[in-house]
Amino acid sequence: MMELFFKPKSVAVVGASGTPGKLGYVIVKNIADSDFDGEVYPVNPKSDEILGYKVYKSLTEIPGEVDLVVTALPTPKITAAAMEECAKKGVKAVIIESAGFAEIGGEGKVIQQQIVDIAKKNNIRVMGPNCSGIVSRNIVTSIYPMTKKVSRGNVVLIGQSGLLAAGMASDIVENESLSVNKVCSIGNKCDVNENDLLEYFGEQDDVDVISMYLENVSDGKNLTRIAKKVAAEKPVIFLNGGRTDAGAKAAMSHTGSIASNSKIVKTAIQQTGMIQADDFGEMKDFAKVFSTQPLPKGNRIAVITLAGSVGVVVSDLCAEHGLELPKLTPDTMEILKDKFDTPVSNPVDLFFSVTKIGFTKTLETTFPDALKDPNIDAAVLILAGFEYTQEAVQKKIIQKIVAEVGKPVVVCMIVGYNKYKNVITDELGKDLPVFPSLISGVKALSKLCEYGIRKHQNQP
Amino acid sequence: MTVNEIISLARKEKRTVLTEIEAKQILQEAGISCTETKLAPTREQAVSLSNEIGYPVVLKVSSVDITHKSDAGGVKVNLKDQAAVETAYDEIMNSCRGQFPDANIEGISVQGMAKSGIEVIIGMTKDPSFGPVLMFGLGGVFVEVLKDVAFRIVPLEKSDANQMINEIQGKKLLEGYRGQDPADIPFLEDMLLKLSAFVDKTPEIKEIDMNPVFAYKEGAVVVDARIILDDE
Repeated sequence: MMELFFKPKSVAVVGASGTPGKLGYVIVKNIADSDFDGEVYPVNPKSDEILGYKVYKSLTEIPGEVDLVVTALPTPKITAAAMEECAKKGVKAVIIESAGFAEIGGEGKVIQQQIVDIAKKNNIRVMGPNCSGIVSRNIVTSIYPMTKKVSRGNVVLIGQSGLLAAGMASDIVENESLSVNKVCSIGNKCDVNENDLLEYFGEQDDVDVISMYLENVSDGKNLTRIAKKVAAEKPVIFLNGGRTDAGAKAAMSHTGSIASNSKIVKTAIQQTGMIQADDFGEMKDFAKVFSTQPLPKGNRIAVITLAGSVGVVVSDLCAEHGLELPKLTPDTMEILKDKFDTPVSNPVDLFFSVTKIGFTKTLETTFPDALKDPNIDAAVLILAGFEYTQEAVQKKIIQKIVAEVGKPVVVCMIVGYNKYKNVITDELGKDLPVFPSLISGVKALSKLCEYGIRKHQNQP
Repeated sequence: MTVNEIISLARKEKRTVLTEIEAKQILQEAGISCTETKLAPTREQAVSLSNEIGYPVVLKVSSVDITHKSDAGGVKVNLKDQAAVETAYDEIMNSCRGQFPDANIEGISVQGMAKSGIEVIIGMTKDPSFGPVLMFGLGGVFVEVLKDVAFRIVPLEKSDANQMINEIQGKKLLEGYRGQDPADIPFLEDMLLKLSAFVDKTPEIKEIDMNPVFAYKEGAVVVDARIILDDE
């Protein structure tokens, strides 16, 4: 059933418009600009042609079958009427993008329920309302104008919000900052909810990482069951809104009064093996680390830096996030000693070598040895924005080493943001997880290690 | 009485709060060991039950209308002989009737005085979305002030029970702090798993407090229990 949303053979846009800027126009334009190769049927009683597509007066007038209907209609009432038409036409999947339903209460809530009733009676699945649907290579139903084609990536983002998910999708696609497979905005979740999507994407071989934001959990019992199954196979990153305890609950037991909904959601994340994100940035950052880096089997980290003080702070942050900085093996220390003239430990301070043989050469000769060390599971590489960093990035030195050694690496950038952000964060960031602060990089790596260790332990 | 009979009786009497005796009977049926607790509607019966159970005993007022039994002067512990039981019976009745003139008091529960152990709380509450959730923590000040507790969503796996016990901040106290006996952690895990299995098949129950549970070097026992049913 979910296939109809993501791989429809035909799609009708009810409320399509020929006026650039209008939502009904953006949706048709986004579909036209995607790789969608099925039939597109704009529906609008007052137009004949939109973006080269023949326009139909109503759904029932469309000659062929319609797999998916996207609606962008001005009022809830008209939307409910369109649902009746969908039932008549035999449509089985509908995305309702317009707002003004349960989220505003009153009549909106009543009409949303009418829509749910029509859907149940006619076996129709509904995404939304108050959402922006799907952003993917094969189809884009978003209300946010897309400037580039979506990558054929391995990450799925799911958001309960409408505009934010659409905006994030547009950003990510534009900057190529994350290898996205699909972004789904599910809005009010009147029917299709996170559990449907989690179960569906859990079974899709081209999806390696699922990252989602929810304001409220639709069905916690099933979420626990499904997330446990999916998170054992692939990382599921979870950001939940409403995480503070809003007032004491009236309960007749100690247990009832302590067990706030936020504590229970947190418990669910932990019990199912999902990964908790604390911010939209983390939702994306963690997905980046998980989708680009191999899973480590342990939490032993090498820190590669150019400045001693940075090494000290990273060491503290690692300890706070459950990561260890072991000594390198005597063999590695012996190799590195020759290059440095001074004893080398972990953090590996590159400064002396850089002054002798330059940055690129230092990286090429030092970084691989430290990363290959059998005492090391992963590395934090700290890059400062200097002229010589630019050379290393442009020659793709770091990417090559990381790919060769096959252990996870996160890059943290310090200083030189104004001049070198485009080089380090944007360019290097297309291939590797690059963070604008030490804490964000260390935290993301700690999540990767935590998941890697758990998965390793659970392997028979 | 069986679990179903106890629940039906409460439904018939239009109450959602079970008495301590009912709660313990239900937990016993779920395989969770509780201190032996019996109802004495009269002073004479309190004495004969005390003789039967063996001294020292504890007397507690049995009334669904009195939530905080200690505050109402409704609890007397460590009663060592018949005379002490008789005096305690009268004092409890006077104090509770004085403070709660409208309360329906069915009598006084007589229970064996459990030897003290590490105080633990085990509980259950039902979330509208996630269903039954279990809670584990150290009792007394640890749960009331510090809220040092761990939760798991039902059904629990063995590893969940183990992890939730290991997760609390005061874990060290369970391992035998300053020469104290350690708590029987495998036994507590088993209690959690039994409670999980029981609440999973008993949807009528809304909340459970087993507080305190005394955990010993070997075994553990529920000393006080409270069960609230769902509104019909």
